[in-house]
Amino acid sequence: MNLSLDGVLTQLLNGFILGLIYVAIAVGLTIVFGMLRLVNFAHGAFYSIGAYIGLVVATQYGLVAGLIAAPLAVAIFAVILDRGLLRWFYDKEPTAQIMVTFGVAIVVEETLRLIFGGSTHRFPLPDALSGSLNLGFVVYPAYRIGLAFAIVALIVALWLFIDRTNYGLIVRAGTRDRVMVQLLGGDVRLASTIIFALGGAVAGLVGAAASPIYSVNPETGFNFLIPSFVVVVVGGLGSFWGAVLGGILIGELQSLTTLVAPAASDIVIYVAMAIVLLLRPSGLMGESEVIKG
Amino acid sequence: MQSHSANLAPPAARRGDDLRFYTLTALGLALFPFVFHLIGGYGELATKILIVGIGAMGFNVLLGYAGLLSYGHAAFYGLGGYIAGLTLIHLLPAFPNLWLTLLITVAAVTFVAWLLGLLYVRLYGIYFALLTLAFAQMVFFIAFKWRAVTRGDDGLQGFPSPSIGPWDLQTPLPSIALGPFGNLGDLKLWYIFVAILTLLVIAFVRTLLRSQFGEVLAAIRENEERSTFVGFNPTSYKLAAIVISGALCGLSGALRSLYDQFAAIDMLGVETSGNLVIYTVVGGVHSLLGPIVGTGLIMYLQNVLSAKTEAWRLIEGLIFIAVIVFMPGGMLGSFKRGAKFSLKKVLK
Repeated sequence: MNLSLDGVLTQLLNGFILGLIYVAIAVGLTIVFGMLRLVNFAHGAFYSIGAYIGLVVATQYGLVAGLIAAPLAVAIFAVILDRGLLRWFYDKEPTAQIMVTFGVAIVVEETLRLIFGGSTHRFPLPDALSGSLNLGFVVYPAYRIGLAFAIVALIVALWLFIDRTNYGLIVRAGTRDRVMVQLLGGDVRLASTIIFALGGAVAGLVGAAASPIYSVNPETGFNFLIPSFVVVVVGGLGSFWGAVLGGILIGELQSLTTLVAPAASDIVIYVAMAIVLLLRPSGLMGESEVIKG
Repeated sequence: MQSHSANLAPPAARRGDDLRFYTLTALGLALFPFVFHLIGGYGELATKILIVGIGAMGFNVLLGYAGLLSYGHAAFYGLGGYIAGLTLIHLLPAFPNLWLTLLITVAAVTFVAWLLGLLYVRLYGIYFALLTLAFAQMVFFIAFKWRAVTRGDDGLQGFPSPSIGPWDLQTPLPSIALGPFGNLGDLKLWYIFVAILTLLVIAFVRTLLRSQFGEVLAAIRENEERSTFVGFNPTSYKLAAIVISGALCGLSGALRSLYDQFAAIDMLGVETSGNLVIYTVVGGVHSLLGPIVGTGLIMYLQNVLSAKTEAWRLIEGLIFIAVIVFMPGGMLGSFKRGAKFSLKKVLK
């Protein structure tokens, strides 16, 4: 057990960055749920697709090209998925939504396995980016710090889009009352698709950006998805800032538990999830609504 | 409401109905491994299909009849597997009696299902699915990390093959060639035992769902508020459905690990929970035998296709999506149009 101050600060930083990656996956999950009431078990697939596309393109044309290609490819995939399949499930029971998106998750995972094999890939960081920064209490890899700033910027940008643009207005209004927005002439369908694609693109971009840190295999997406469910539940399903708060909390909880009781680090987040679901199912920042059906 | 026709029939007609159903089912179970041989099946796979099918049938009491989607029934299936193994290793090493092992295991899993069920019944829909997922993940990681007891990802092994009286279930049946239907000796005593147990479970679930319990459960699924107004307590009925489904999944997991003489950590994993959903939905959530048929179909495809192509799970995923989109009644549901339970209601 390393409980020196430096050790704790380092773990806090690790937890913060892990938490930010959870946030990047969870915001997409939560805005799609907020607007479409759609629970997307295929959201982890966006992360995986982004990571693999990023890997392939970055190996060929460099990291920047990979970081551009990944979110674009995922956004296109998300639009096809939304228009081609999921829109038939908007108005169905959550049970049916969970099932069909779970099926999509399997199909994507297995397609990636067929194309890239089951082994684990890791994108080697270019020398220019593999340096470290001395933060005083710890010497920390510069790429991770850059990644943290990038994710924060991404989340702020996404928030500005939702908060300041007309599409964002339709999205926010659609979260409250879909039918009314449609009656008033707002194109909810287009806004839904845009939100779905945006959420996917963010997950895909982070999948590519994180691939030098967290190696990728076909199951990676699903493995990140389950903690992301924990995050959105803790923060409140449908709440944007809830996902941000929940992500950081869960990342830190996992990271700090590693410090005191390593064996419990994977268990503790599910305990947190169960406690929140049982005591306050609407989550820390979700609006209380009658949780039924 | 759905099963009125069955209940209103004169008792004699019902008895005839029952007799025909059980005779046909027993006959089907007896012939299954031999007919299965025609399409490349074999004794071991036939036995495993029935074992897992028992769990899927239990799972469907919750999904199909109570209308609640659990994403964490691997917890009960896996616990059944581990508790059965641990019982043989620590409690009954000198006396590996099968009945006693199953009794202890199912009692333990039933208790766990009741404890968790008390929490589960508070939630609905997506929240129900996520809560069951959370507890299943807890159980998985506890088993994964608690190596001293569970052997972690090595899995639990080294327990004796259980016996019933003087019979060791691993004993093969006498070798009799049956032409295209294979060889009787391809089956172990296990198959007879599992087939009888399957018939008993089918009878149990059928009786249960045709009783008032089944009707109230369906009423709650269709409209919980209204069922409350007419005086039923939905919570206790849902709790019962959770406990029954958990117990049957526990039985299924116990049989699986006893048969394999191995309890793998994957039994508790999220993929197992997902598989229960897939088997049940593909077979048909509103038919009694749908889950067993779905289990058989998917496990058969997995076995046949995985030898030929790496893409079998991709195909499984595509079949699953196709069933949800095009025939939400599942395999059996689509054969029985206008059947008593309309699946559309649950998937609507």
